[in-house]
Formats: sequence, structure tokens, C-alpha cells
Amino acid sequence: MTKLLDVRDLTVRFAMPRKGLFGPRPLLEAVRSVSFTLEKGRALGIVGESGSGKTTTAMAAIRLTEAASGQVLFEGEDLLALPDEEMRAHRRNVQLIFQDPYSSLNPRARVIDIVREPMDLMEMGTMEERNARVRDLFKLVGLRPDQLNLFPHQFSGGQRQRISIARALTTNPKLLVCDEPVSALDVAIQAQILNLLARLKDELGLSYLLISHDLGVVRHVCDDVAVMYLGKIVEHASRSALFDSAQHPYTQALLSAAPSLARRKSKGYVRPLKISGDPPSPINPPPGCAFADRCPRAQDICREVQPDLEDKGPTRVACHFPGPIAA
Amino acid sequence: MTALLDITDLKVTFNTRYGQVTALDGVSLHVNAGETLGVVGESGCGKSITALATMGLIPMPPGRIAGGSIRLAGEELVGASPARMRAMRGADIAMIFQEPMTSLNPVFTVGDQIAEAIMLHQKVSADRAFKDAVALLDRVGIPSPADRARDYPHQLSGGMRQRVMIAMAVSCRPKVLIADEPTTALDVTVQAQIFDLLNEIQRDFGAAIVLITHDMGAISEMADRVAVMYAGRIIEEATADDVLDFPQHPYARGLIDCIPALGREEHALKEIPGVVPPLHLLGAGCAFAERCEHANDRCRQEKPLLVNHDHHPAACHAVEEGRI
Repeated sequence: MTKLLDVRDLTVRFAMPRKGLFGPRPLLEAVRSVSFTLEKGRALGIVGESGSGKTTTAMAAIRLTEAASGQVLFEGEDLLALPDEEMRAHRRNVQLIFQDPYSSLNPRARVIDIVREPMDLMEMGTMEERNARVRDLFKLVGLRPDQLNLFPHQFSGGQRQRISIARALTTNPKLLVCDEPVSALDVAIQAQILNLLARLKDELGLSYLLISHDLGVVRHVCDDVAVMYLGKIVEHASRSALFDSAQHPYTQALLSAAPSLARRKSKGYVRPLKISGDPPSPINPPPGCAFADRCPRAQDICREVQPDLEDKGPTRVACHFPGPIAA
Repeated sequence: MTALLDITDLKVTFNTRYGQVTALDGVSLHVNAGETLGVVGESGCGKSITALATMGLIPMPPGRIAGGSIRLAGEELVGASPARMRAMRGADIAMIFQEPMTSLNPVFTVGDQIAEAIMLHQKVSADRAFKDAVALLDRVGIPSPADRARDYPHQLSGGMRQRVMIAMAVSCRPKVLIADEPTTALDVTVQAQIFDLLNEIQRDFGAAIVLITHDMGAISEMADRVAVMYAGRIIEEATADDVLDFPQHPYARGLIDCIPALGREEHALKEIPGVVPPLHLLGAGCAFAERCEHANDRCRQEKPLLVNHDHHPAACHAVEEGRI
């Protein structure tokens, strides 16, 4: 299989407001030396709580956020080293779908213009060809051609997300970054959009980087899953390995926190693993494992030595004491 | 046994630019002490309006309670005086909202805000109320509660803010607690903590909980009984197990089948096509007919009533006729 994206030691830092007039600006390390690969035609899900750095990782990987260090090889070419002009031309290969379909479409533009705009910017074909392509894409994502001249407010949330998807597809991208694509939608509508994303991936051979906090969504669309915690990947595995035999206690906690139809109040459900509290602050992360303070398995070494992401059993995991949940 | 909260045939209308629309069309619900009722449906189904009507918080005008009754421990709330409603809200019936950041006051410390709720309903000194507030923060699992009580809402995380809201809501030991999508804005691990906390509080205080949600997974973990709402009506009501294992109404089935659930991995999710129709466009027939694969001419012309089969009422012609 060919690698589409090969991210190596990606680190992103944000400068925080200085303390006092002449004080130093504290640095917040949002993404801490993250490496992963995405193969052609596959979907990688990045999951984690808010503040875990999942969106920042994806944005830095497509150079919408500036990385402090690291490499992003897109088909072997380092995107972070490209001059701005070349990067602009490169943008047609990578497109984005945002979380909120209400704020990501220009309310004053007709949807035909919204969807055509990436082609206008890339100067692809003639105007007639572009409009014809918009019509084709409308059909592909399940909208009607007679809706082309309407404005965004005349569409429902699910339809707006279809418009966003059509706009993302105009430039024939190889990689689609989906940032929480369904979390603003009603459950019944989520299913429509998830099915559409799965169908487009098969029909067009797209690769996805899908960011979500919902493990159910990731399980439905993604082939591989990376779990992030405080700027680091703590577990990375194929879908089946991650959902059936997670090794990291944080992944296990996420899985047991996700609401499930199998856990019934009438049967007196008990969560297999509970964690309390919130993640630590990313401004002064603890020296050892960031999860140690919330972890039921933490020992002294966990607070002192940061574990590396290594192949251990069924998954790649960054934990000193990986393994299934203790019975 | 009489229900603690008993809503019968509640009808709420709003004057809009499309004319008068019926937001709730004959909703009947009841909750017993110590029980959790889940109210489930998509946005625009009338879940929150039901909650607001119960709290006496429907803006009037444009809203109007056009009929029906809401009884709390036997006392009629529809038509109760504003003074009586104020005394009741917070003391006997309390609500937790979806967005803790917008429902807390940003310019007062959270301890003061909880103490204010206590002093409104109990004759206690400000000192005593603040001490009670700290104890409540401790009870809902906030670490170093005496310090956190002096924090402002923006200094707390989303999960902590929701815990503050819960502390405030239970400060006067209400008989009924309405939780309107209490975890939508939160991460799953925090959501799990809040669910566990609500269950604990119910065990300790014996409150009845009305949990409003669109998530069948939350229903499964939290609810004893479930009412499914669609376009301002209850279309199915039964125990949580009955609704989850043997859903009758096609809409209830759809809500369960469309979840990308853990432990299921079929290729395509079942979709419910289309969206909830706008209330001003509701016709004479079943509001779900346009999205329903079992709809026939009768469904499009005649509104189905909630018919009881084996203690599992559903409002569907197809179910009634045995077509599904």
C-alpha cells in the first residue's frame, strides 16, 4: 500500500499572553511530537477530548496551523518545506469539511457560487465546465439541481453539510480532512451524512482524516484510529484491534464512557472503568505520562518517565502497563 | 399510585409570522418519585417546550398554554399565579440547562449564585447559605470546593460548570429535576461522570428526573421509562427496555437504528430520510408520514392516536393495523 500522508514528529506550540509587562510568553505545546501515517484510500480517525490537540494536529498536517517542528510528507513531498506559492497550488489535493455547517457557508452567496469558488480560485476549466461540475457534484451528494440558486439559510443542517462536502470535492482532492463533520447535526441526520462519507470514500477512492470525539462515528467510517491525550497519540491501531482489544487505560475509559444501548439502567449497569477529573493543563505538562493522575494503573515510573508509542500486542500504545481491563 | 408530575393533554401554541402554530398538541406525561423519564426526539419535536411549560417559563406572548393541565404533587400549575410559580421553581421543581456557560451569571462567583438560590427559598443567613453552597459543591464532586466556590464561571471547565448547575438545581431538594440535554456540550468522559452523578443524586434525594435527550444511548443508561416525541406529540411510550428492544413506531425504530453504536459494525447505517417538518406545514395526517416507508393513504389523511397495546402505547396506523 502507498502512503499518502506520513507525519513525523509534528510539534505545534502556541505563545500565550505574557505574564506581566516584561515577563516571558509561556508556550503551550498543543501537539507534542506526533507521528502517524495515512495510506491511500483509507480513513484515519483521530479521537480525544476537547483540548487533546486532535484538531490542531490535523490543521498542522495540512499547514493551516504553523508547526514548530516536524515533517509532513504528502506523497513523499514535505509540505512544511514548500514555498507559499507551491503550497497554494498544492491545496487542491487537500480539502476540509468543518463542524458547523451554519458558520462555514457564506450567508450572502448562492450555493452554486459557494461550491464553485474553489475552482474559480484554482482557475480550473471554463465557467461552463465549472458550473456543469457543480451540478454533477450536487447530484453526487444528494441535492437537487433546482436548489443551485438558493442561499444557505434555505437549507437544513444536513443539507448544508452536503453543500460543504460538494465544495470540498470540486478540486478532486486526494485527502479530505473532516473536523467533527456530524457533531452539530441531529442523530437521524448524522446517519445520512456518515453514509454519504462512506459511499464517497469507496466511489472516489478518497482518504479521510476524520476528527471526532464520538467513538461510534469513528467506528463507522474509519479503518484506523489514533487516540490523543494532551497533545500526544496514546494508542494507534486498526479499527477492530482498537475497539476489541484496547490496551491503553485512557482508550478503555473512553470506550466505557461512550453511551451504549447495551448498558441498561434496568440491569443495573456498572462502567468497567471510570475516570475522574479533567486533563492536566498543556502549559506545564507533567514530566511523565500525562494521564497518570487519572489512571487506575499509575505507578511511580508513570509520573517520572514519559512512555513512547510502541508496538505492544494488538495495538501501538504509549503506556508503561498496557493490557486489557483488569477483571 | 398518583404520579408526582402529571401532565395531561397539554397544548401549547405560538403566534408566529406564519400564523398560529401548535408546538405541543395534546402531550400527556407522568413521572413518579424516584423515577427517570427519558424524553427523546430530534430538535423541533417539542421536548424543550414541554420542559419550559412545566417550569412556567414559556414566553407569553407569543406563546400560550391553550389547554390541558400540569399537576405537581396534585397542585395545578397551569394558571398558577406568577408569585406561586416563583416559589415553586427551584424549591419543588428545578431545571438543568444545556449550556452551563450561558445559564450561569458571569459576574458572580458560583458559590454566591448557589447561595442566592438557597436564600430565595429558605430563611437562612448569607453565611449559612454560602456554607451550604460549599457543601453542595463537595457533594457534586468538585475538588477543593471552598476555593472553587469563590471562582467565577469562566474559571471552571465545562464539566465543572455543569456540576455547579446540578448543585444549584438540587440545592433545595426539588421533587422533580428536569435535565434538558445536560451533556450535549461535554466530552464523553465528562458526560459519563455527569450521568453517574445524576443517578447518585436520584438515589440520595429520591428526586424524579425528566431527562430530555436525542441520544438513545443516554436513554439506555439513564431512563426507566421513555416517551418518544415527534412534531409536538408523544408517539410512543413504554419502559426503556420495551422501547429499546421492541420499538413499535417507525420513528422510534429509526432513532435506534441510525446510531453508529459501539458493538455494531454493519456497512450502512439505517437512515431516516428528510427532516422534521416545520410546524406551520403540518397537514391533517401523521406528521411522520413523509419520512416513513410504511405510510399509506390513511397515514397521510388521518392523525393516528396513541393506542395502547400490551402497556406499550404507540401512535401509528401501521402498527395498529399490524402492517409492521
